[in-house]
Amino acid sequence: MKSKLYKMTSIKEELWKTKGILFNFAIFDLKIKYRNSILGMLWSLIEPLLLLGVLLIVFSTIFKFDIENFPIYLLLGIITWNFFKNGTSIALGSITNRSAFLSQIYFPRAIPGMSAGLTASLQLLSELVILAVFMIVLNFTPTLTIIYLIPIFLLELILIMGIALPLSVLNAKFKDVEFIWGVVLQAGFFLTPIIYQFDMLPETVRSILQFSPMVQIVTMAHHVTLYGELPPLNSMLYAVFSVSIIAIVGYLTFRKFQARVVEEL
Amino acid sequence: MEEISIDVKHVSKKFRLYHEKRTSVYESLMAIFSRKKYYEQLIALDDISFNVKKGEMFGIIGRNGGGKTTLLKILSHIYQPDSGSVDVKGTIIPLLALGLGFHPELTATSNIIQSGILLGLSKKEISKNVEDVIKFAELEKFADIKIKNFSAGMHMRLAFSTAMQINPDILILDEILAVGDINFQKKSFDAIMDFKKRGKSVILVSHEMNTIHKFCDRAMFLKNGKVGKLGTPDEVIASYVDFLDTQKLT
Repeated sequence: MKSKLYKMTSIKEELWKTKGILFNFAIFDLKIKYRNSILGMLWSLIEPLLLLGVLLIVFSTIFKFDIENFPIYLLLGIITWNFFKNGTSIALGSITNRSAFLSQIYFPRAIPGMSAGLTASLQLLSELVILAVFMIVLNFTPTLTIIYLIPIFLLELILIMGIALPLSVLNAKFKDVEFIWGVVLQAGFFLTPIIYQFDMLPETVRSILQFSPMVQIVTMAHHVTLYGELPPLNSMLYAVFSVSIIAIVGYLTFRKFQARVVEEL
Repeated sequence: MEEISIDVKHVSKKFRLYHEKRTSVYESLMAIFSRKKYYEQLIALDDISFNVKKGEMFGIIGRNGGGKTTLLKILSHIYQPDSGSVDVKGTIIPLLALGLGFHPELTATSNIIQSGILLGLSKKEISKNVEDVIKFAELEKFADIKIKNFSAGMHMRLAFSTAMQINPDILILDEILAVGDINFQKKSFDAIMDFKKRGKSVILVSHEMNTIHKFCDRAMFLKNGKVGKLGTPDEVIASYVDFLDTQKLT
């Protein structure tokens, strides 16, 4: 029943040929997001800063959390979380918002989802600049282990892509995906050690949450940046394990739905 | 033997016509339990076979809803056929209805570049040609205006000029020239004839029998998703006109 033509190129080959589109979309997403706003791209920096301000006031003056270098701890958590949040939420509408494109000319269906990951990466880079500024202002000198943030963020990018691809096609078929994902992100923010330390949680809760890749990724980021040490082996194993599973399941889901996604729009 | 640029064999395509389209997870789950059939099958294309040769202009005619656009979307890889095979040699650019995947919030120039990249050109290649595209489309004054402010005719001229500049091997034109004024139509057809002379193929969908008769080498009449007639333009037009007459009587 399958036609010959559509098997001719694998998804990967197709993507390589059209990588130009990928970057074009990634930048385009940013431009469209901030069009008609006076501050433009600056918003991508102001947003996390405002969140940081609110959380800092709430948790260091009202709840009196006693975490070493709390502003940096908090900011790093927010930035790491934002990367995940931005990538997956841009991906969510990446196909539905391009229904005009997709129903007029052909390009690989993985491009919108993957470009969402790239857009989020660009935002991450600009947010890391804020982190650096904060470190200078607060006179905090990280050790060399901070270099390990690179593989940690790369792992997170794989996680984002593994979720972005299926989200982009599923949202075209089921509009509820968008709402469900909004709730997941909301819950995820509080179930990830961004405003608290993982050790503060009761043991039973920890034994469940340790399977969350974002819990492990944020924990690892804290370790290499703030404590000047390699992430615990446990965290690395759990993170790689959970990210691999999500990426594989995500890719398979995407593959199942991608061919006919345009007909669902 | 003449070289073939598009070879379509036994292509069929069905659509589901949802009476009350279910798009939420909850509704889909409920549908499994209730087992109510909520859609009908619509056979949009039924066992279509034909080919288009290099340097040929191939016309497709038929009534609205006869499967023309579905077929074009399958040829341009936007839809997948349920069965059968489509073999396309070379790059193909579909100009379906209006546009080329243009974004209303971008200027004409940005849209040309964006479309060029989407259709596989590098940014360098397309940037060189932007001026030519604008000039051919006669949109010099509007080059940096967002195209949401464009009229249908301007939009079409931009799409057509962009497509010609990208220089594909196969061009699909779905009613696209009907919007332009007479001068532009003439200029477009000159460009298309020149394109043809270079050994490229054109698929033309039109409701104007004159155009089909004048420009096409061969044609096909799509009759409710089936091949009604395949042959010279005159034979095909005659068959289509006959069909329209019988429809009028009933």
